[in-house]
Amino acid sequence: MLTTVVGSYPKIPNRPRPPRLRSAIARFERGEIGADELRRVEDQVTVEVIQEQAEAGLDIITDGQIRWEDDQTYFVRRMDGFSIDGLIRYFDTNTYYRQPVVEGPVRWREAVAVGDYEFAAVQSPVPVKALVTGPYTLAALSANHDYGSLRELALALAAELRHEVLALERAGAPIIQVNEPAILQQKEDFPIARQALQVMMEGVRTEAHLYTWFGDIDGLYPQILELPFAAIGLDFVKAPANWDVIARAPFTKKLGLGIIDARNTKLESVEQIVSAVRRACAIIPADMLYVNPSCGLEYLPRETAEAKLRRMVEGVQQAQGVPA
Amino acid sequence: MSGLLTTSVGSFPKPDYLTHARSQFSLKKISRQELAELERRATAEVIRLQEDIGLDILVHGEMERGDMAAYFAEQLTESMAIGGLVRSYGNRYYHKPIITTKLRWQGPMTVEMWRYAQSLTDKPVKGMLTGPYTMVDWSFDEYYGDRVQAVLDMAAVLHEEAVELDKAGARYIQVDEPAASTRLDEMDLVSRGLSVVTQGLKAKTITHICYGDFARAVDQILTLPVDQLDIETANSGYDLLELFRHKRFDKELAMGVVDVHNHRIETLDEVVAGIHRGLEVVPPERLYIDPDCGLKTRTLDEAEAKLRVMVQAVRQVRRELGVD
Repeated sequence: MLTTVVGSYPKIPNRPRPPRLRSAIARFERGEIGADELRRVEDQVTVEVIQEQAEAGLDIITDGQIRWEDDQTYFVRRMDGFSIDGLIRYFDTNTYYRQPVVEGPVRWREAVAVGDYEFAAVQSPVPVKALVTGPYTLAALSANHDYGSLRELALALAAELRHEVLALERAGAPIIQVNEPAILQQKEDFPIARQALQVMMEGVRTEAHLYTWFGDIDGLYPQILELPFAAIGLDFVKAPANWDVIARAPFTKKLGLGIIDARNTKLESVEQIVSAVRRACAIIPADMLYVNPSCGLEYLPRETAEAKLRRMVEGVQQAQGVPA
Repeated sequence: MSGLLTTSVGSFPKPDYLTHARSQFSLKKISRQELAELERRATAEVIRLQEDIGLDILVHGEMERGDMAAYFAEQLTESMAIGGLVRSYGNRYYHKPIITTKLRWQGPMTVEMWRYAQSLTDKPVKGMLTGPYTMVDWSFDEYYGDRVQAVLDMAAVLHEEAVELDKAGARYIQVDEPAASTRLDEMDLVSRGLSVVTQGLKAKTITHICYGDFARAVDQILTLPVDQLDIETANSGYDLLELFRHKRFDKELAMGVVDVHNHRIETLDEVVAGIHRGLEVVPPERLYIDPDCGLKTRTLDEAEAKLRVMVQAVRQVRRELGVD
């Protein structure tokens, strides 16, 4: 049983620690510092959040997505075929992203997150997983002004994002995680997502994970197990229904067990975590479990996120009978 | 016959001296009294500006409020706390409040500032509250673990506040619910909360709700328990007005005719045309004209210019219709 995160980590700490990245971005926007200096601060903050995650005791971490504006913009601004429009609410959160607009044929132009992965891998004492926003979610959250249908757009994005996956594989990422939260909101589109993910992952040998959040997979189970991934990540906080759904058929893959509420500051007790882990172990062997928060941690203040990760590790250790 | 009364949604841009003073106060370099003095000065300026422009129903401008949810959380010291910083988008962060225990009204939160603003003018000044659904949705909940109970308790707190405003003589009480569009399947809860807040008030009650896929919940929105519904319409090219065309709607409607998220000042013709769109679905005696949303996102000059063109357009349409 391993502990990990879903993706994002809060970018700035609270007082008295200085909000270095926020200040640097503001100075960059005012033209007071250049791109190199901003990059240097992003590097420093990335190193800091890598250390925080490792010190919390996680087995596998991410780079915290410190450089990402949001899951969509970070990819589309490095691809051809997109413009970036106004702010739009991200699912039912109070967080906003800029809506991508598909203006022409989409094309992967250059590596998006490969350099970030390489930087993080060198800095981190524990394995780092690489993150890719999935083709279905990217298509569903964009305004499509060019392709004839959502399916056509999702398949085109899959063929292009495949270059990113292959580049991450060449860079040696031990795990490539593809995020597809949007499929839980439009389940009738599952055949589109399946076809797109098959195109994107064909022949990929690296361990690949598919993560979802903010919803349940009722109606997609057990078909979701046919997708070309070694692990499926599910949100059991926003969607406790997932417990019953996965009990309906053997869960034949590894499970990303999202049991720590990454959208509320209330700290889980060790007992709650132990009980959730044991419940999962009744369905899936312990060595097939990744225990993680319910979604990215950016919905929490930095210090709360860190405390929750420490508590999660404590709970998992206790569930495994490791003395504190 | 009178009609087409003009108003605004709530917030005005803060003058530089007040923004500076707020940051000095947060660094403990000036006292609460010194800050309050400047808030009153800025409020007086906002009242004078609205009288000069010729608006019919005024707002106090919310000079004492940083964030519309955090302001109330700061007053409810026994049951709420101000949490750490959470990112909303880009490089923007806000302090997200936390509900720490059972919500309880501790005494008037808005009456003193309303009374001061009203003392400066013969025009009615609206009492301004943030609605219970929005207060809960924009806070972490460490106590209830149940959205319905949290919203109903918050509604009881805000009802006590509304009663105080009513007793003080406010003729209009506005209860803003910008979060209402986040989950249209919870519109019944929004409605239950508002009915608790507005119950038994002598004042005319208003709710302002912001963008969303309103068509999916139109019947519930049109029957929210208030006297006046205030919606943004300019930024959607007035499409939202179509919802009213084939529905029974006997409340008052306040429609936004200038876009608060755009620097460009609308032309007189555009605003006149927008008002005519509104008159197609609601008669002038029940139609109020205002900006789409709070003006705090604009510069003071832009806010003033947008309000002036709005008032000029209303005067032109009133002349055409022979309305006072």
